[in-house]
Amino acid sequence: MTRQSLVLTVNGKNHALDLAPHRSLLDVLRDELGLTGTKKGCDAGDCGACTVLLDGAPVNACLVLAVQAGGQEITTIEGVSSSDGQLHPLQEAFIEHGAVQCGFCTPGAVLSLIALLRETPRPTRAEIQEALAGNLCRCTGYVQIIDAVKSVADSSK
Amino acid sequence: MTHGNVIGKGVPRVDARGKVTGQTKYAADIRLPGMHYGKIVFSPHPRARVLEIDCRAAESMPGVRKVITARNLPGSNRYGYDVAHRPVLVPEGEETRYIGDAVAMVVASSEELADRAAAAIAVRYELLAPLTSPRQAMEPGAYLVHAEAAGNRCCLREFVHGDVAVGFQTSEVVVEQTYFTPRQEQAFLEPESGVAYQDDSGVLHVISCLQDPYGVAEDIHLALAIPKSRIHVKGTPVGGGFGGKLNTTIQVHLAAMACLAEVPVMLVLDREESFAFHPKRHPTEIRLKLGAGRDGTIHALEGDVIADAGPYSGRSPEVLGLTMSALMGPYRIPNVLTRAEGIYTNNLDSGAFRGFGAPQAAIARECLLDKLARALAMDPLELRRRNFLRPGDRPTSPMLGDSPVSLELLTERIVEKLGPKPSAPKNSTKRIGRSICFDMPVFDVGAIPVLGKSGVGAAVEVHSDGSVSVYAGGTELGQGVTTVLAQMAAEQFGLPMDRIRVEMSDNWTCPRAGRTSASRLTFGLGNALLLATGRLRQTLLVRAGKMLEIAAEDLVLEGSEVRLVGVPAKALAFAEVAWMCSDRGDNLREEGWFRSAEDRYMYGHTFMAAAADVAVDIATGEIEILKLANVLDMGRVLNPAMAFGQLYGGAIQALGYGLMENMVTVDGQSKTPSFAEYVIPSALDIPEEFVAEGVETPYPTGPFGAKGIGEAALNCTTPTLLNAIADALGVEITAVPIGQEHILAAVRNQKLM
Repeated sequence: MTRQSLVLTVNGKNHALDLAPHRSLLDVLRDELGLTGTKKGCDAGDCGACTVLLDGAPVNACLVLAVQAGGQEITTIEGVSSSDGQLHPLQEAFIEHGAVQCGFCTPGAVLSLIALLRETPRPTRAEIQEALAGNLCRCTGYVQIIDAVKSVADSSK
Repeated sequence: MTHGNVIGKGVPRVDARGKVTGQTKYAADIRLPGMHYGKIVFSPHPRARVLEIDCRAAESMPGVRKVITARNLPGSNRYGYDVAHRPVLVPEGEETRYIGDAVAMVVASSEELADRAAAAIAVRYELLAPLTSPRQAMEPGAYLVHAEAAGNRCCLREFVHGDVAVGFQTSEVVVEQTYFTPRQEQAFLEPESGVAYQDDSGVLHVISCLQDPYGVAEDIHLALAIPKSRIHVKGTPVGGGFGGKLNTTIQVHLAAMACLAEVPVMLVLDREESFAFHPKRHPTEIRLKLGAGRDGTIHALEGDVIADAGPYSGRSPEVLGLTMSALMGPYRIPNVLTRAEGIYTNNLDSGAFRGFGAPQAAIARECLLDKLARALAMDPLELRRRNFLRPGDRPTSPMLGDSPVSLELLTERIVEKLGPKPSAPKNSTKRIGRSICFDMPVFDVGAIPVLGKSGVGAAVEVHSDGSVSVYAGGTELGQGVTTVLAQMAAEQFGLPMDRIRVEMSDNWTCPRAGRTSASRLTFGLGNALLLATGRLRQTLLVRAGKMLEIAAEDLVLEGSEVRLVGVPAKALAFAEVAWMCSDRGDNLREEGWFRSAEDRYMYGHTFMAAAADVAVDIATGEIEILKLANVLDMGRVLNPAMAFGQLYGGAIQALGYGLMENMVTVDGQSKTPSFAEYVIPSALDIPEEFVAEGVETPYPTGPFGAKGIGEAALNCTTPTLLNAIADALGVEITAVPIGQEHILAAVRNQKLM
């Protein structure tokens, strides 16, 4: 099988890889780079559990070929907290507001909402719902996730 | 008992940091040296005879470690809860019973190779006509899904109280309706997954997402004839279960793969396999009849439930037992006849799903109560109040014991939460509807048999440095049990949360605790833990008393110390006392075994009210939920954020159940095999305003007065939404889910436009 060499930039770190071109970014993150914080819920772009940021924009990593992601800045949940372990304010807010239950959708939801807050620091409830619409959560009923985002937005200047 | 340190406080979940940072290891995140990958070949046909399985092509593929059919399996090849009649792999010559039946398995060095090898296995089938409706399956002469189950009857649960014939005779108004409820998929985000390996000593380790490590070990033993002493089952943090992982899922298959391939194996189902494989909420047809006097007093209730049990028994007898019981709800009904029957078919399997048979009953009961209110020209809330259980009443259901009745309090709170009824703008095509419904959710009080024996065990150990380990065999599904148990231990020992480590879901390290279902862990494991910590507290106090030369009963455990109240000088660090206990050979590990004094009853119960205001657009059929309110009697709120999380999450699953979700099968094949077809609520579907409140009527035998609340919100919310929509349109709803197309059809039939 033909393979393709490329460099993936994940959480600010470059990884030289030699990959079969049909492999999804999701599988490469999980299986080649060991970044299992990105979850596989459906592998079909329906559930959003595998959301990562490509140059700051949320994408379903299961729908992106790894070779398409070369040259772009990829952010996974492992790259959200600072290197000294300091959580992102949204992660803190998720904990404080009870926005986490089983946690399987949490990394993807956090990334979608971080992207929202970067673009729209003070989103309305409708804007939060829109940004979260691609991340299915079966546990929380979304209420406390929305509360968490609002608390971060309210505390931002 | 001291409390107030961490109980009832907004303590953050102990597992939250790992989950928000992606560090938590779910089953599919485990990587073992030399790990191979498994793949199951499922039958594409709901009913077919397996004529021949040709594995030669797959076996010759490079990288394929092992191809497995029923011929290779050791043991009985049969497992299953209730009746062990489910084959691990359907052998040649036998019939498949649904599209989740497995016929072969492969183990290969990569996931991709495993997929390719599975596709290369050639199975010849003789196609047979599947039974796809319970009604068809009940007909005389119908083929039998299981030869020993005459009439394809999986189970029949019946309850008689008083005399319904007399009850209906004395009734001045009688209403009757048949309701149809859909097959609801748990739709947990994490598919069934796990790893398994045999170690050098011959012990099989199965590490997987599950809801019952003990049940899984039993099934592995049954199916594969492995001694129980060599089966170690460890549950991983579960990415959602909701009952769908209560029965053994892939673990027997995974165990067989690891044993026969003699390598560590990972097995993860894809979404389509997952949707086809595990049991779902029973689709039901419920005929319900209510008789009442002109004043609204209910005289009689008669209910007849026919449920599609799918191909295997599993939880059907238990689930339908609760359906039978829940038809009565929180009302006084002097004459009752209810029966619930489960019928085998070749459709998708049915089993446990949050609410466990009660949501179906709640839909029928609460919708028919509104019909009765219309027939009586009575306010539906007033009708319900006239028939509420009153303080001191015991529910009619034989499965339930005593609980303080809080229905009037809930009514007061829900009416207050709801506020004035909104009105539609003039000349609008929107119609406004409102409903308030009630329910009596149940929770296991320690009486559910756990592998033939009742009771729930938990262990606690104080280490010589004063840190604490709790061993609790329940499973963290996201409901927060790990945190609640840590709170209880911290409270009991007067320690901060970070001194407590809770180990869960392990059939080797944790005393037998049974399954994670029936909203039973806070109550059962909590009580077991309190028994264990109580004994250990005594050990510590006695030792500290000797050290301080003070009577043990004058000492308290608080602030990480053992103290004489009010005398700061007379205190020892908790860690110092623990070290001394350890040094002197005191027993620092205790087990608690809880068996409820109420164990002649199946369940404890509580009360819940839900209310909704909806706007239904008769031009578009669109349903807007303007407001949803839930008030639940929680006994005692142990952790507010987590408790409300159960209410919000349960209510949105109920919304999906009532308005969106139906796992459709045609000829036994799934027509909703992925999240693209089986649509669950997203963030855009939630009510505009959503309020939840807990009232606290302490439950006498609950830990700190708490009740089990995990499932409660689901039952009550669905009929509340349905009745609000019916109220808006002036129509009757008898089939669920209700979508835009149904609204538009109802509008046409009613000539509202």
